[in-house]
Amino acid sequence: MYNSPEWADIVIIGNGIAGLTAAIEARCLAPTARIAIITEQCHPTINTPALKQFAIGKLAQEQLLAYPAGTERGQRVRVINTRVEGINAQGKFLVLRGGYTFGYGSLLIATGSRPNGLPAHLPGRDFDGVLTLHCLQDYLDLRRRLDAIDSAVVIGGGAHAIETVMSLLHHGIEVHWLIRSETFLPHILDRTASTMVLENTRNTGANIFTKTEIIGIVGRVGSVIGVITNNNEMIPCQVVLVCTGTSPVTTLAEQCTTPMMYGRGIYVDEQFRTSVPDIYAAGDVAARKNPQTGAYETQAQWYAAVLQGRSAAAVMTGHHELAAQSIGVPWHATHLGDLCMLTVGNPLHKFAGSTICTDRSKKKYCRMSIIDDRLVSYLSIGSAQPDSLAIKSIIDEGLSIRHIKKALLTGVFDARKYLTRWRSQEALAMVTSGKVPVVKPLYYPVTPVRSFSVVSPPATIATVQRSSVVHPSNASGPTLNAITRMETIHGGSVDKPDYVLSSLAGQSTIHSWEQDARPSTGKLPEPISTDMESILLSLPSRSVARSLWSYSEKIPAVKALKSSSQHKGQGQSESEKANFLL
Amino acid sequence: MYSEGVKRLFHLKGDRIILKSTLLHKTAPQVAQEIHACIGCNECLLACPAVAEAISIDVLNRETLSGAISAPIARFARSCYQCGACVAPCPVGLHRDAMMMWIKVRLLRSGRGE
Repeated sequence: MYNSPEWADIVIIGNGIAGLTAAIEARCLAPTARIAIITEQCHPTINTPALKQFAIGKLAQEQLLAYPAGTERGQRVRVINTRVEGINAQGKFLVLRGGYTFGYGSLLIATGSRPNGLPAHLPGRDFDGVLTLHCLQDYLDLRRRLDAIDSAVVIGGGAHAIETVMSLLHHGIEVHWLIRSETFLPHILDRTASTMVLENTRNTGANIFTKTEIIGIVGRVGSVIGVITNNNEMIPCQVVLVCTGTSPVTTLAEQCTTPMMYGRGIYVDEQFRTSVPDIYAAGDVAARKNPQTGAYETQAQWYAAVLQGRSAAAVMTGHHELAAQSIGVPWHATHLGDLCMLTVGNPLHKFAGSTICTDRSKKKYCRMSIIDDRLVSYLSIGSAQPDSLAIKSIIDEGLSIRHIKKALLTGVFDARKYLTRWRSQEALAMVTSGKVPVVKPLYYPVTPVRSFSVVSPPATIATVQRSSVVHPSNASGPTLNAITRMETIHGGSVDKPDYVLSSLAGQSTIHSWEQDARPSTGKLPEPISTDMESILLSLPSRSVARSLWSYSEKIPAVKALKSSSQHKGQGQSESEKANFLL
Repeated sequence: MYSEGVKRLFHLKGDRIILKSTLLHKTAPQVAQEIHACIGCNECLLACPAVAEAISIDVLNRETLSGAISAPIARFARSCYQCGACVAPCPVGLHRDAMMMWIKVRLLRSGRGE
């Protein structure tokens, strides 16, 4: 079957959280499949977001493990420690270091990202004490040095940088934080939020320099003693910590024998398929379409990587229905000292017809974008973290916030109460009317997902007739089925969106290339510019039935419409999840 | 008009339907979602006044939703009194108390509640 004596049904490149999650999920879904992980990393999968806690001694090294030790062996996942140097997509095998080959049935690229680091020609970048914080080895290095450090310079203007700053301050180290732009996280936070965060960090003890870059690093006998900024200022320090962001590792896309579509990340569809048959991508390296803006973008975050790994495994094992639910809008929650920051969706994106609501008090700021009574983005800075995943669900599912707008804005929103009540009301409506509740999206166009015919669809989905005309205003039971299935169907022609914002009428959309439905034919679109105008694509779950299980449930709503006998095949744990409500 | 089961959950006030009780803990899918979002920073366990022995966050997460519950996790779940001290320190805004409640439910179901 394969051109290589060694092979596996599912081969995963990379053992980050996306790769290992995919392997474990694939094992659950395909108990007899041969699964292999090929990785260069010399340690098991770790909780990378916890590395900062590890660096300052709040965690032991063993506590970093993302899965209990021996999970790979227990799950019969073969781990091969080597480098993949190329992909032969026609022969379906990998070229490994030393010229060895390894065949695959399905291949998942989960190679993650690499740090951007400092400019290549920056004077002094190789001095001892210049650390680019990214992987375990970097943090081990930092941890060993911490007790000898009095003063540190942190470079970068993102969440990674501020978390590093806070960790160092917690350890009692003097910190100088250099930010190239004028504000913090300029693409995510508005000026008010940025000022608030910077003020708070300043009050915690950091020396912050905005609009400042380093032009050189000064050393003595090979070790750092300071940095020189573009303001011709010398800042003494013992370490320079570089947190200047990451870039997806797309080397394998470049080295694939069949052209693979990539830009900043390997482009994948809703089911994590790349433009090459039987090759998938997940995690930091995968660039998916943002459901709100339509732009292809990577999402280098822990939770996104977990979800993507699970979904990719479901598709690779033929369980397309489990991957049908979209991962939804971007979500990022973190602590910045004693401040909590939450961003859901694209807070600074200007959606046509949206209203911006803000609420500001001394230590709290909230900014929401609303279209009618639907929330489309949420930004919160404050002393307490709201129920962040619940807010993401409200946006993903397009729930009405008519009665909770003020509570959301002022940060006193009780998500459990709201969602319990919402579900209960829907349950009551379902029991009394005998109909599954139907969502009537007002502004979200019903847009079919990009359709590839690479993998054969499940029989139940393949038989669906695509003749139904879907319009949100007259959605009913049968129409609902049509919408749901349209989102999961593969192959065939793709319909035009049935409903588009008036401001978008006539605007060319990125869907034009999807008419071809076969990116593997080479008819691929130009990379999408990120500064394109707003295209409100269908928010996940808005176009499908919300059921009792809709909140965060992995089983798509179409499952709920099927007979109970079909649920039995889901396995005990899934059925337990689906049928038990506290 | 309504079945007995439905009447236990709701009552009518005029033409309005009033929920009799509000269930404040999270459903299994919500708990699963939160476990997937856990970054393993251990802040919740550091803040916990009830934890009496070394508990690993990865094991706690794995055993919360499915599979066998080991003795240390079972002891920890029984000693958890839902004070909520674990919620505020979580950087990503998760509710460890709801996850602990889920382990308690699983223990009760398996007859190991006491």
